Amino acid sequence: MSKRIHIIKRGAGWAVKTEGAKRASKIYASKVEAEGAVQVFRRQGYDVVVHKSNGFIQKWQKAK
Amino acid sequence: MTKEELNRFGKSVFINCPFDKDYNELLKPLLFVLKKIGLFPRIASESLNSAEVRLEKIKRLILASKYSIHDLSRNYPKSLADPFRMNMPFELGLDYGCMEFHQVAVYKQKLMLILEDEPYSLKKAISDISFADCKHHKNDPERLVEEVRNWFSENGFDLIPGPTALWNDYNEFLSELYVRKIRDGFSSPQIETLPIPEFIRAIDHWITNGRNNE
Repeated sequence: MSKRIHIIKRGAGWAVKTEGAKRASKIYASKVEAEGAVQVFRRQGYDVVVHKSNGFIQKWQKAK
Repeated sequence: MTKEELNRFGKSVFINCPFDKDYNELLKPLLFVLKKIGLFPRIASESLNSAEVRLEKIKRLILASKYSIHDLSRNYPKSLADPFRMNMPFELGLDYGCMEFHQVAVYKQKLMLILEDEPYSLKKAISDISFADCKHHKNDPERLVEEVRNWFSENGFDLIPGPTALWNDYNEFLSELYVRKIRDGFSSPQIETLPIPEFIRAIDHWITNGRNNE
């Protein structure tokens, strides 16, 4: 089972949320900012799933 | 109506909406929320039988559903060359007629949610429903999830997850769908335009089997 971190639209911002967690860990003003912040987790075995504003998948960054 | 439809009447939701590609991003989270609440969405595109007359199918779905969601946000033509889209207001009229005039008492229990894109935009075009308390989604899927969820809460459904939890679940479900469908040879655009019956089955699978169970 892969570990995933999602970047999900939240109102006017973008939420970073670990899959299965009850709440988002942080909300960023922009998607680029959120993507930058989660790169460190890829080295900890997490895939980063970047969603479009409609929820579908924009890109899937595998763990390093 | 079949026996199964009769048994499911109190949990069935007739969805009256456009079926174009643009509406896909609103329809799919709508289906997800209904399934998460434990309801049965009934929609003309849930099955395709070329021998079935569309209007007969619509009537059958209306008769089988206590609840209905009428999204009238796309009635207007996109350009001067396009016609007005009258199917949705027509089907709202059929559903309202069923509630008002059907001889069977159970149809008096029908509950309807009318969606529009912006507040009061609809009343300018259909003043006959100026009595109706509509909700507006601003063409935003996240907002639609919240409005639909809250409407069911307002109508007595308890223990529904919060709007943000539902939106998060929808996004996580889509990632699971992506994994499964890429593995099965789909492209990203094909996943986004998955036929409605297949999409509903995927939701059922996710709800039954839990997330990230690969």
